[in-house]
Amino acid sequence: MGKSQKSSKEVDELSKEISRDVTANGSTEGINEKDDRFQPSDLVDSLEDEGSPYDSGEDDQDASDYKSHSNAEESDSSEDEVQGSPYDSGEDDQDASDYKSLRSAEESDSSEDEVQGFSYDSGEDDQDASDYKSHRSAEESDSSEDEVPSRNTVGDVPLEWYKEEEHIGYDITGKKIKKRARKDRIESFLAGVDDAKNWRKIYDDYNDEEVELTKEEVKMIHRMLRGKTPHAGVDPYAPYVDWFEWEDKGHPLSNAPEPKRRFIPSKWEQKKVVRYIRAIRKGFLKFDKPKEEPHVYLLWGDDSTAAENKRHGLSYIPAPKPKLAGHEESYNPSVEFIPTQEEINSYQLMLEEDRPKFIPRRFESLRNVPAYENAIKETFDRCLDLYLCPRTRKKRINIDPESLKPKLPSLKDLRPYPSTCYLEYRGHTGPVKTISIDISGQWMASGSSDGTVRVWEIETSRCIKVWDVGEAVNHVTWNPLPELPILSISVGRDVLILDTRLANAENQARVKELLHVEESLLEEDEGNTTPVVRWVRDDKYDAIRLKHLKAVTTIDWHRKGDYFTTVVPSGHTRAILMHQLSKKHTHSPFQKLRGLPVTAVFHPTRSMFFISTKTHVWVYDLLKQKVVKKLETGLQEVSSISIHPGGDNVIVGSKEGKMCWFDMDLSSKPYKTLTSHHMKDITNVAFHRLYPLFASSSEDCTAYVFHGMVYSDLNQNPLIVPLKILRGHNSSKGRGVLDCKFHPRQPWLFTAGADSIIKLYCH
Amino acid sequence: MPKHHRPAGKKKEGNAAKYITRTRAVNYLQVSLAIFRRLCILKGIFPREPKKKVEGNHKTYYHMKDIMFLFHDPLLQKFRDIKAHAKKVKKAKAQKNKDLEDRLLDRAPKYKLDRLVSERYPTFIDALRDLDDCLTMVHLFAALPAAEGERIQVQRIHNCRRLSHEWQAYISRTHSLRKTFISVKGIYYQAEVEGQKITWLTPHALQQVLTDDVDFNVMITFLEFYETLLGFVNFKLYHSINVKYPPILDPLLEAIAAELYALCRYIAAQPRTSSVDSLPITSGEDGQPGLEKLDMQTEESELRLAQLQHQLPTNEPGALMHLVEDSKAEDEDIDVETKECKNLFKNFKFFLSREVPREALLFVIPAFGGAVSWEGDGSPFRESDDGITHQIVDRPTQGHIFLSREYVQPQWIFDCINARIILPTEEYLVGRIPPPHLSPFVDNEAEGYVPEYAETIKRLQAAAKKKVLPMPGLENQDLNDPQTLLVKGIVDRTEANETAEKKRKLMMLEKQFHDELNMELQGIAYSSLKNKNLDSTVDNAKEDTITPTEEPEDLSQLTMSRKKRKLYEAMKIGQERKKDKVKLLHERKKNAEASKKD
Repeated sequence: MGKSQKSSKEVDELSKEISRDVTANGSTEGINEKDDRFQPSDLVDSLEDEGSPYDSGEDDQDASDYKSHSNAEESDSSEDEVQGSPYDSGEDDQDASDYKSLRSAEESDSSEDEVQGFSYDSGEDDQDASDYKSHRSAEESDSSEDEVPSRNTVGDVPLEWYKEEEHIGYDITGKKIKKRARKDRIESFLAGVDDAKNWRKIYDDYNDEEVELTKEEVKMIHRMLRGKTPHAGVDPYAPYVDWFEWEDKGHPLSNAPEPKRRFIPSKWEQKKVVRYIRAIRKGFLKFDKPKEEPHVYLLWGDDSTAAENKRHGLSYIPAPKPKLAGHEESYNPSVEFIPTQEEINSYQLMLEEDRPKFIPRRFESLRNVPAYENAIKETFDRCLDLYLCPRTRKKRINIDPESLKPKLPSLKDLRPYPSTCYLEYRGHTGPVKTISIDISGQWMASGSSDGTVRVWEIETSRCIKVWDVGEAVNHVTWNPLPELPILSISVGRDVLILDTRLANAENQARVKELLHVEESLLEEDEGNTTPVVRWVRDDKYDAIRLKHLKAVTTIDWHRKGDYFTTVVPSGHTRAILMHQLSKKHTHSPFQKLRGLPVTAVFHPTRSMFFISTKTHVWVYDLLKQKVVKKLETGLQEVSSISIHPGGDNVIVGSKEGKMCWFDMDLSSKPYKTLTSHHMKDITNVAFHRLYPLFASSSEDCTAYVFHGMVYSDLNQNPLIVPLKILRGHNSSKGRGVLDCKFHPRQPWLFTAGADSIIKLYCH
Repeated sequence: MPKHHRPAGKKKEGNAAKYITRTRAVNYLQVSLAIFRRLCILKGIFPREPKKKVEGNHKTYYHMKDIMFLFHDPLLQKFRDIKAHAKKVKKAKAQKNKDLEDRLLDRAPKYKLDRLVSERYPTFIDALRDLDDCLTMVHLFAALPAAEGERIQVQRIHNCRRLSHEWQAYISRTHSLRKTFISVKGIYYQAEVEGQKITWLTPHALQQVLTDDVDFNVMITFLEFYETLLGFVNFKLYHSINVKYPPILDPLLEAIAAELYALCRYIAAQPRTSSVDSLPITSGEDGQPGLEKLDMQTEESELRLAQLQHQLPTNEPGALMHLVEDSKAEDEDIDVETKECKNLFKNFKFFLSREVPREALLFVIPAFGGAVSWEGDGSPFRESDDGITHQIVDRPTQGHIFLSREYVQPQWIFDCINARIILPTEEYLVGRIPPPHLSPFVDNEAEGYVPEYAETIKRLQAAAKKKVLPMPGLENQDLNDPQTLLVKGIVDRTEANETAEKKRKLMMLEKQFHDELNMELQGIAYSSLKNKNLDSTVDNAKEDTITPTEEPEDLSQLTMSRKKRKLYEAMKIGQERKKDKVKLLHERKKNAEASKKD
């Protein structure tokens, strides 16, 4: 405040000087000219800035009155000014300063508005200068920065220049402005301690003074530190007000001429329109929403036209319907359908897939039944089945299983056949390996591994004769001629041709003659090659001994009783040997054999010969001396073979328990294979000579009797009917029935067991 | 050389050419597996089992023709379009192009399945044959919670509800329901429509929980087809009984969730209104086309009014009975069974308590000719109605009791239906544990085990039949007293047994005579005949001495071929299992009886 007063005084003085000049000149025009000349624009500006004339007006009432008057005049046109001003001066020229202020006001054309507003203000409240000042500073803030007069008068020069000096600038009268004495630290500290407001004080280097910040200023600083606007009242996000009035303005912002495109129709727009038009015409573009068509209608009109109503494509396999609910699914099943707790627990031990999916429960009334928890899951599973499971048509057989059985004739019609054990022949001490029935049906010979051969009378089961051959007997066979009761026995490497002495007197001589061997005859052969077989006279048994090189397994007689064959399985090219009893001659007709021979038999009627190897049966014609047929058994290891008395059918037994029936007229493959009856090796198979019967014996202690009817009509297949399982033998050392033979005339079956018993089964 | 080597330039043959694995099929069609799956479901294409699986045993094979069938289906392109469209929508959404998105959503490609229905089921009978799964599924979905935010659209569920009610209304109206069975899983119904037996399962009317271990996409695809199918089937069925489809329901009844009843009333009202709606149509044809539209509108509202008016009188008791009588006149040519079903509950009036499953009983009772009402708004008659003969209750005790009616448990209804007679109500009264509820789908004789209650019912049935036929005059009197029937039935049974025995003997003799005559004609030797006769006469005496009985059975197996033998053995095992089951049942029953005695 004091500062402004001072400056106003200065201005007063200045204005007085000027007024003197004016009075000296005496003409307004001259004054004007003088003003132009003498008053630098800077000074005028500064005067105006300072507002000093009005400060002075503040002091005396007249000036303010006058001023208000001049203000009223100022509102007139500028032409009046020239006339008006001399008049005014003429009216009251006592106060020059007033006049001057008027003039200066008139002269400043450019800042007309400012002065106007200014004078009004001063007219309104001229008492409070400070208010007035602040108001002014607010108004003029944009015109000049340094409105606050500073003590420092050096201007905008670095303070360093005055560092050494005691003064800082000069005042208006040209005196040095002294710097204030520096307080040392202690002093300033003490001063600070006493003063509670010390924290607000700031030392101003430039003006060399301490400034105390007001509360508002402190707040301002705080706000600035926080990064906000200094004034609390400022809204940084105030809605934007567009102060420019765009509408109804006659002139555009830009004065550029309108482009041509504003006046001609757009090409691209037109293209688009054309496209739309086309789309509408062609129906691509629709404006109204499509109507809701009735979503159901009569799809199946009449089903009468069958041709149209056929499903196309592959045959449709309808999905099997789900199983219908049984009693146990009821909400209230009878008690017997509800499993006990133990049963439910036992389900846990079952396999996942065997476990019942549904455990019946019982509810006492319908209201207690809860929602079924698997309802959705089960429907989903059904869905999966419907679209994921492969479907095939499977014939579901809904028949009585009994109807699957073949229609066999009643067993009673097929009688007689052996069914019950009638006699037992005991005497052997080891397993009876082989038996043979005399063609007359009176005698039976048996060979055992205890090294004896016995001959039994069949009807009485009396043992007639015993020969101890010293070694296990492999095979015994009677000569097929009833008048020659000769027995052939294979013992190890030898074959004994034995006279049983059961013939009557006249035949006895013939037998004796037959069994006579001349040693010399045999010597002859020896010279050329190593003999296959040596015919040797055996005195002990009064028999012929045929000495082979290897062990002999089977012997078979030709139906005429002169020839017989022996099989030496390990004999290679000389495995099958033919012997002629009358000439005591041996030869091996089969130089080449395919496979290991097992047995060999003569055809019952024709001149044919069957050799069975392990897998095949070779049929030779003895006259033509060549292979007629090869029967493919399909078996692993053939053990025995038997020829039907008719001669066209063969049965073959194997060690895997299978039996094949061959119809040789039909095929070389089995007509029928019986697979499942014997558990162990089949030891022998046999046909009956007269009855349509055949049998098989096996190591599993059983013998099966079959009806095997062969018809003379070639169109009719043989009829095979299993008749009877014969049990009774005991197993010994894992072996069961070792041999079976039929009685030549009666429907009786003999079986030789490993339990050293021979049994006779009768009808 | 590899196993399936094919020289270059030679075409595939046989199974390799005929069948294609699933992966190859998907690649061939150039779709994703999900779309392939949908196509297969909608087109009804299933894998097939080739004789020789060329590409491995553990693969799924489709017939090449089936795949070509898919390949040429327009639906395939439609699915591709939908996929492309979904991509566009997604893109628009990602670009926040709301306008484009809306426009795209408006133009979403749609497809219809009616062509597929006619393709898969060329005749109506075909459709009926395959309807079991369809109905079960639709009924299941009708019972699912119709809540927003679940995996199934609410609209779907409402549609299922509507379809199932329409179906039930038809069945109920035509009295073609044959068997019902309350199981733990829900209620099974079996109806006979055009000679086809259709069985379906409805879940119990309780809240179903949506499980997580189920792929709802698959089920919904199935449902999509089934909904269409059932819609067409319903249309055809309604058409056949001369009722307009889709039905317009009374909003009042619909609001209280008695749609089935509303539908029944609609159907009942319809045949008479058909004459009404024929009139405006003819006038429309005569008049100008401009007027036609107006006419149509008025016609519809008229129709609506007419319907409602027709429905109104049914609110009175006895009106329903009137309706039933009404329908009698129309269909004279119905078969015996339908007639039987129709007249089962003919003279009865039922009232359902709050706690019994209303929907099931509202369906079942009218299907067998009964009149039914329930507790609540819109019901045809009140609880206090004098004519009510039976009240269905399922509560431990009944407070207020009308003496004129019987209070029975709901099982009674279902048992009566299965037995086709009115069973004595004694055991089904309130508070008692009802007798076991037996499945009508089981052939007890074939199964080898006849539950005790089944025998009781059989006796009652026999008694009812016996009595009804010769003495029609006494019918009414006796019907009311089934207990007397029971006694009578037992007496009759013994008599019947005797006569049957006599008859059988006579038949035997006759048959023997005929057989002999035949044999003579064929020229079979007398000796063999004699032999046989001898056998048969001396049968017992001989067999004991010569052969144990089981042996010949063993032997005949020997000559069977391997295939037959295996089959025989398998069948034997099956029979054994069955026997074991029956044995177990007998055992359990014995135990239960023993424990009861203790």
